[in-house]
Amino acid sequence: MNTFKIVVAGVGGQGTLLASRLLAEAAIKAGLHVKIGETYGMAQRGGPVMGHIQIGGETNNPQIRKGEADVLIGFEPAEAVRRGVTYLKKDGLALINTRKTAPVEVVSGMMPYPDMKKLMAVLEKVTKNIHTFDATGIAEEAGDPITTNIVMLGSIVESGLLPFSEEIVVETMKAGLKPQFIELNMRAFELGKKAYHSL
Amino acid sequence: MSHPVALDRPGERVVLMGNEAIARGAIEGGITLAASYPGTPSSEIGNTLARVAKKLGFHFEWSANEKVALEVAYGASMVNQRVICPMKHVGVNVALDILNPITLRGVKGGLVVVSTDDPSQHSSRTEQDNRWMGKLNDVPIIEPSSPQEAKDLTKYALILSEQVKLPVLIRTVTRLSHMRADVELGEIEDLGRKPEFDWEGFSYRVTGFEKLFRRHKERHEKIDAVEAEFEKVPFNTIKNNGEKTGIIGVGFAFTYVKDALEAMDVEDKVAWMKLLTPHPLPKKKVGEFIKGLDTLLIAEEVDPYVELHIKALAKDTNPSLKILGRMDGTLPREGELSHEMIDEKISEILGMPKKPTERAEIEAEKDELLFDRMLTMCAGCPHRSSLYALKKAVKEVKGDLMNVVVNGDIGCYGLAHAPPMAFEDTYFAMGASIGVSQGMQQMGVDTIAWIGDGTFLHAGIPALQNAVHNGANIKIVVADNAAVAMTGFQTNPQMGVTATGDKVDPIMIEDIARASGVKHVEVVDPYDLDAAEAAFKRMLEAEGVAMVISRRVCAMVAVRKMRPERPPVYVVDPEKCIGCKQCLNNYGCPALMWNEDERKASIDTTLCMGCDSCAQVCPVGAIGRRD
Repeated sequence: MNTFKIVVAGVGGQGTLLASRLLAEAAIKAGLHVKIGETYGMAQRGGPVMGHIQIGGETNNPQIRKGEADVLIGFEPAEAVRRGVTYLKKDGLALINTRKTAPVEVVSGMMPYPDMKKLMAVLEKVTKNIHTFDATGIAEEAGDPITTNIVMLGSIVESGLLPFSEEIVVETMKAGLKPQFIELNMRAFELGKKAYHSL
Repeated sequence: MSHPVALDRPGERVVLMGNEAIARGAIEGGITLAASYPGTPSSEIGNTLARVAKKLGFHFEWSANEKVALEVAYGASMVNQRVICPMKHVGVNVALDILNPITLRGVKGGLVVVSTDDPSQHSSRTEQDNRWMGKLNDVPIIEPSSPQEAKDLTKYALILSEQVKLPVLIRTVTRLSHMRADVELGEIEDLGRKPEFDWEGFSYRVTGFEKLFRRHKERHEKIDAVEAEFEKVPFNTIKNNGEKTGIIGVGFAFTYVKDALEAMDVEDKVAWMKLLTPHPLPKKKVGEFIKGLDTLLIAEEVDPYVELHIKALAKDTNPSLKILGRMDGTLPREGELSHEMIDEKISEILGMPKKPTERAEIEAEKDELLFDRMLTMCAGCPHRSSLYALKKAVKEVKGDLMNVVVNGDIGCYGLAHAPPMAFEDTYFAMGASIGVSQGMQQMGVDTIAWIGDGTFLHAGIPALQNAVHNGANIKIVVADNAAVAMTGFQTNPQMGVTATGDKVDPIMIEDIARASGVKHVEVVDPYDLDAAEAAFKRMLEAEGVAMVISRRVCAMVAVRKMRPERPPVYVVDPEKCIGCKQCLNNYGCPALMWNEDERKASIDTTLCMGCDSCAQVCPVGAIGRRD
């Protein structure tokens, strides 16, 4: 099979790495090879985080070539555009959380957060297939903003592009969770699936 | 849930990080001791081993520094135990003093040193290539290209070390250490060896007046034996020998080569070699490979190490061979490789059309819009409070911030150079702040050494004693957050708990300082800004070596310990806020926000740690605790 390639973009503390790992575990359950490349130099100190996931096939390097990702999972709009423009293939699918995480230079008033319309217009030059939704707001609705990553996971499952079934993802997710958190995460997952259909 | 590296299920495939795979390889190889010092990108090897050590019944420790770690590991090797000693690349600089005699005297139980190199310096202050370190001491080097190989070859390295009686260096790069892939588990060996010192025959035993010089010859014979072994190993692979164009990918760099050949569909059109043993180079095998070639491209991470040695080899086997790599500028002389670089060079060599860079304009447009995400200390970080108080004290006592050079050190507090604090002028290597400050001070330039608790305990103690002994009138601030925060919260001797959770007596920095003869030692809580400022003033005005330990636990540790409770919430009273921005411009906690429309500050309550510092900074008392 062709290797299915996902780029995950966000900032430290958003649970991006966990989302990558869940997808990797699910891939293994489905009998597929998997590789994840992570770039998180100083993530804890507010730096950007990026994950490259390659499922199936026999690639060797953990990084995805520029312009070859099938899907972008953007946990934060500016980071989504930063990575999407570089890595997403022409007309690839972009799933973007619209909740901004402003860096120090913005919160302290040194510079403004870039205009969202302008940001998205740049990404649109690479793909028109962009789904945006307030994943953090949806996670709050599910019960805890910490489940933002599960909302994003729900949305990529709903896209139907993953080379394995929804059941495998749910099974993997449940296996990694303490029982008292399963209900919360399933709620976030279902709401994420619904969110995929918003534009 | 137990960690997958502890699973006794050979044949099962699990997702492992490169560093976890190394830990698993050591476990499969039957180690009974592991000693390490944390440092990115190596830390997860130790973190993983620490987590499973008790369960699997081996000793793991975070040692005081890399030299001590290697000494501890060697001690266990001498009593016939298999051991591993992982560290980041610059850690090997620290350990070098003991690595050299180990190679001369020989090992008993297999001893593997892991060096995680950091091409492009993702989280280091150099990208030094530690294959030179192996070469320097005749240490065999193995460079895996995948997590599976990282696991398998760590085990192999333990066995090889034991056979040839040399330590073996596993060299990884950040991309490999931090990548994850499915890895097939192997069997865990339980050697059950009785720890015994070899009284009779072993080479490390000192007996009478021996001629030490012969050890160098023995070491050469050993490394020659390793070379003969590396000629035969199955993991150095060659394909399509007979083609005129050849490519060698060394270790992780091979992944770029293989991907490029597959993507361009030229896998069968060039001769290629995966070389995982850069030192000693298997000269016969490589010689056979290059003999018939016209052109050879060598891809390797950081320095042209293999390239240099192949140039020497080609002088005899193929003098007219055109050798391309990092030495002649075909590939850059510094920084990590990328798909783009290797793709471009291979297509150039094969005379294929150049791939157009179609997104240059969109990329430029994007860069125009986006910010960088400046690195900053966390919300509520006690280092920020220390720096704020220290700056005020320096202004008061010295008149101007430029009247003192602040020599910083390695850790989170190294971000002191970032705005708005911007109060750090140099940083170099673990513990160096205290040493370099002395040279300046001896020449009459006033200094402050700004060092963290973990770093002080790693390499600051000899430098401190040097200052007292030689009368260097330096001032030292220990930014003590009771955490090795930068690398992920490992333990250090001050914490009173070991890597595997045993309670021990803490070794306090103030006791060390006083025992070292420092007359002026104070401990202060930086969250009390006035008290901290007063303590720093007293330090600056004191005679001789003076130290303030600014002690407050790391905000991230504090908030974790509090869970599920949240810290008290602070708010800005918009009635009182005069929009002077002092909290933002002079203090700059990331929980502080600026509202441009109302021209007032506010606080992000999800980030606020409730440390109270900004409330103390505000000149009009507009910030306070919400009841």
